[in-house]
Amino acid sequence: MQTGYVLLATIAVPLLTALALTAVPSRYPNAVRVIAVAVGFVLFGLSLYAFFAYQVADGEQFQFQLRWDWIENVGVLGDHGITLHLGIDGIGAPMVLLTGIVAFAGTLISWKIDYRNKDFFILFMVLVSGVFGVFTSLDLFFWFFFYELAVLPMYLLIGVWGSSSVFPTFARTKEYGALKLTMYLVAGSVLIFIGIFAVFVEAGIGTFDLLALYQVQFDEDFQKIVFPLFLIGCGVLAGLWPFHTWSPDGHVAAPTAVSMLHAGVLMKLGAFGIIRLGMQLLPEGAEFWMPALITLGTVNVVYGAISATAQTDFKYMVGYSSVSHMGYVLMGLATMNPIGVNGAVLQMFSHGVMTALMFAMVGALYDQAHVREMSIFGGLAQRMPRFVAFFAIAGLTSIGLPGLSGFVAEFNVFVGVFRTYPALGALGILGAAITAVYILRMLALAFFGPFNERWKELTEMTRWEQAGGALLIAFILFMGVFPSPFADRIAESVLLIPGVR
Amino acid sequence: MGMTDAWLLPVLPAGAFAVLVLFGPYLPRRGDWLAIAAIFASFVLTFPIIADLTSALAEHGEEFVGAANSIPWLEVPGNLELRLGVHVDAITVVMLVVGSFVALMVQVYSLSYMRGDSRYGWYYAAMSLFAASMLALVLADNFLLLYFAWELVGLCSYLLIGHYSHLRSAAEAAKKAFITTRLGDVGLLIAIILLWRDTGTFGIQEVIAAAQAGEIRTEVLTASVVLLLLGAMGKSAQFPFHVWLPDAMEGPTPVSALIHAATMVVAGVYLVARTLPLFELVAGGPELVLAIGLFTAFLSAFLGLVMTDIKRVIAYSTINSLGLMFVALGVGAPAAAMLYLFTHAFFKALLFLGAGSVIHATERQDVNQLGGLWSKMPLTGVTFAVGAFSMAGLPFLAGFWAKDEILVGALENRVAFSFLLLSLPVTAMYMTRLFILTFLGQAREPEVAKHAHDAPLAMSVPLALLALLTLVTGLVVFDQVGRALGFPGGIGELIFLGEPEVFHFDTGVAAASSELVALGIIAGWFAWAVRPELPQRAAQAFRPIHAMLVNKYYLDDFYQAIIDRVVLAGSRVLAWFDRNVVNDTGVDGSALTTGFMGYLLKFQQTGKLPNYALAMVIGVVALALVAFTLKT
Repeated sequence: MQTGYVLLATIAVPLLTALALTAVPSRYPNAVRVIAVAVGFVLFGLSLYAFFAYQVADGEQFQFQLRWDWIENVGVLGDHGITLHLGIDGIGAPMVLLTGIVAFAGTLISWKIDYRNKDFFILFMVLVSGVFGVFTSLDLFFWFFFYELAVLPMYLLIGVWGSSSVFPTFARTKEYGALKLTMYLVAGSVLIFIGIFAVFVEAGIGTFDLLALYQVQFDEDFQKIVFPLFLIGCGVLAGLWPFHTWSPDGHVAAPTAVSMLHAGVLMKLGAFGIIRLGMQLLPEGAEFWMPALITLGTVNVVYGAISATAQTDFKYMVGYSSVSHMGYVLMGLATMNPIGVNGAVLQMFSHGVMTALMFAMVGALYDQAHVREMSIFGGLAQRMPRFVAFFAIAGLTSIGLPGLSGFVAEFNVFVGVFRTYPALGALGILGAAITAVYILRMLALAFFGPFNERWKELTEMTRWEQAGGALLIAFILFMGVFPSPFADRIAESVLLIPGVR
Repeated sequence: MGMTDAWLLPVLPAGAFAVLVLFGPYLPRRGDWLAIAAIFASFVLTFPIIADLTSALAEHGEEFVGAANSIPWLEVPGNLELRLGVHVDAITVVMLVVGSFVALMVQVYSLSYMRGDSRYGWYYAAMSLFAASMLALVLADNFLLLYFAWELVGLCSYLLIGHYSHLRSAAEAAKKAFITTRLGDVGLLIAIILLWRDTGTFGIQEVIAAAQAGEIRTEVLTASVVLLLLGAMGKSAQFPFHVWLPDAMEGPTPVSALIHAATMVVAGVYLVARTLPLFELVAGGPELVLAIGLFTAFLSAFLGLVMTDIKRVIAYSTINSLGLMFVALGVGAPAAAMLYLFTHAFFKALLFLGAGSVIHATERQDVNQLGGLWSKMPLTGVTFAVGAFSMAGLPFLAGFWAKDEILVGALENRVAFSFLLLSLPVTAMYMTRLFILTFLGQAREPEVAKHAHDAPLAMSVPLALLALLTLVTGLVVFDQVGRALGFPGGIGELIFLGEPEVFHFDTGVAAASSELVALGIIAGWFAWAVRPELPQRAAQAFRPIHAMLVNKYYLDDFYQAIIDRVVLAGSRVLAWFDRNVVNDTGVDGSALTTGFMGYLLKFQQTGKLPNYALAMVIGVVALALVAFTLKT
């Protein structure tokens, strides 16, 4: 049974939870935790349901539709001017699932937060609600509304619960990270905002409804001018080079669960926006600008990987690794062929789960050791074998080891890129080899070799962290071994994107 | 159980892996019996497959190209179809027998060798995955599954080489193995995609057929073949990618046996043998393989002479052997390469397991600390001698027959043939040296030798079985033996059906090679047993050459310098650029500029009415001027 109320619930449940949490007295932190984890579980269940109940070869491009008119026939607005219109296609379905997984894992990992945990979870739930909203909205107005809803709580989450880093030659305070991240993303959304109004005015049908706007044939010059607004506006959030520097600093400053959601899900909002607004709305503009995107995407991959090699701090390494891996998403999208775009969306899911796992593990270590410098550890495998195993699985996924999700995604991206741009495809594969260098270096340095006695106080991860990690690993393996439930949904919708052939 | 059911072979040990990882700690004996049962089942199941294959061959004759069976895995309709499937033909069968048998022997041996290890259960899990990946690799009917298994083989070698993870050297060796082979894998992956681009398929047989039909552009085919070869060179430790293999001995000794004999390093040889038709379509393709093989075989032979670690000497002998296999492939004698691979698997596993027995008994692995073990460990000594002299190429042992086939194959090529002959006595010499220093003469550490004891049952049974096989397997070159075993036309016919060349024993070549081998053994005997001071004097006399050999031609230092001075230094420069130029100048700079503009503008807010009035007047006049200009 398909009903749009499932999607509505993914947005409403966390919002209502945030509201309800305000009523819980903060002297009961455990009650807050139980509520948060329970809601996380419910969201996970809802997203799992939405993913599997989505019918492949149904004939409907968008399923689970729900349409509530809000404002219409006022001023410039015509019929269905602004509607709460929800629905997912085969691209939205795995993204909803991803959000459910990471949100649930995030609540589990955040069990140990002590400082003002009620406020933390209120903001966390608002953020999650916004993310679900972006992935399911089919109305530009609400799309933008949820986009902002997802970005803004970040500022407080990082500024209050984050951590500052001091290096020998420079320092990055959490306030700096929070401010830069928020300013940058808001700057990006200004471009998106302009683009949305340009599209609304140019279409002249008085509605923000995406499905209606998809039917409009925009003028080619208009498309060429407006597409870069969406590309850069959303690209900022996707970590597009050279607008990526908020990402390492922001992720490093953020608390664990926020890094997980941010790198795992929010960066995908950017890539998702490039598809939903850019490619689907303005296919000719996309075609015109894609050579630029594939160049920048390749720079992302190689530049991010080389920068990650130089990092000595766990979180900075993971942060730059995210920049590199999001490059594969951008490369895949820029191919404009079904294989590459399919690979890009697979990579959005894969990287989301994988990077969430990595940040979760970094957090598990940092909370005990209070340092993130790789070289001062050593031999942790003897002390925390399960932690090291989880970390290694995340690392191997990012290397693109077959049997784990990263391989499936990257293989599709490579094949797609090779079809159009063989030289850049070779660079992309080289980027994957550099990934092996920094990941294996990190593993050897921090986790293997003789045990450093300084860390004999460290203990294995908490049960909550293990549960969260195991959940993420389950999906890494699921997609790595049986990719077709994902690929079937994605490929079907990718083939419907105009201009993808 | 026919050929199309062969997928079961890798699935059994893979299942054992999954069970051991999830439930290992709750199983009796941490589940070692399950791992062994799984690989034993895989080994036994190869026989019905062989029977099915021989009957299919008898029925269809030369038209039989192999049986395939596959399932869909991932599909982008109309664009990309990825399948997982098996393909069984004669090469596959050889690899299946070797892989499953050696893995079985090694796992039985490990029952005793690894007893008491803190990660005993994990060891068996990784071993199972290793065997499963290798079986999947040789069964793969398409490049995708081949790459899939290829990478998993790399992973397992990483895990097992680094098994003693508390040792810094083991962690480094594991990392080195993974990264070095992965550099080659970049080439392999690019080649696979390039071939797909021109043919639209990942199927190995389909790609070969398309290439033979001329459907692949020449430059693409050339590039693909070179890149495929890169992948094979990485895995098969060919020069200049060989540096990881000697370090790989940091893993437990049974792991070395598996890596060197049956799983990891022969994957590259298998890949080239499998895709040899592609190489033959490219001008200079076979010659390239030949040159790399010769270079590798020749250079590694000398290193065996100076190494003092027992496992390191055997490791260089493996590189030597792998070079020989590439030579055989390069001269167009894949049957000889496969025969060498087959016999090599047994005697190399035997050598490593024998070395393991020595290490187990003495806890020493430097030959300068060993010696005089012959009487203490007769079984190990005898079996080790069989392995060592088989490697040396002593007549009537397995290595002799296989090496002879390679020499016969290279007969046409004068240069290759002479280099091969030259390397023979060197190989014989260092294997003799290794045997003498380990087992004969005075014990250099009498305390250690006194307490040495022969291998326990679980270790001695595999040793004895492998020694037995080393004595007899070479005889399969004779068609009569093959026919007696039930293969119509002998093993050579079986392996390379329809190829004009089958095994042929050449008395002249055999006599020449036997003499050279005997020369090497006698020289080794003289230098290390009769006049032990001779090697030191030689090392003194040729000090630069000796230093070059001990330092492994300075290749490791060269690579280390590249990593430190180029890769890491370069990455630090880029990270500095990112922080200082892109971020602090670009991002923070634009923020600061905005702030500075605000600072400048704030002085306009004087709070004095005349200033504001003046600004207004100027503004109005300016706007009026603009309006007039635009109007006219």
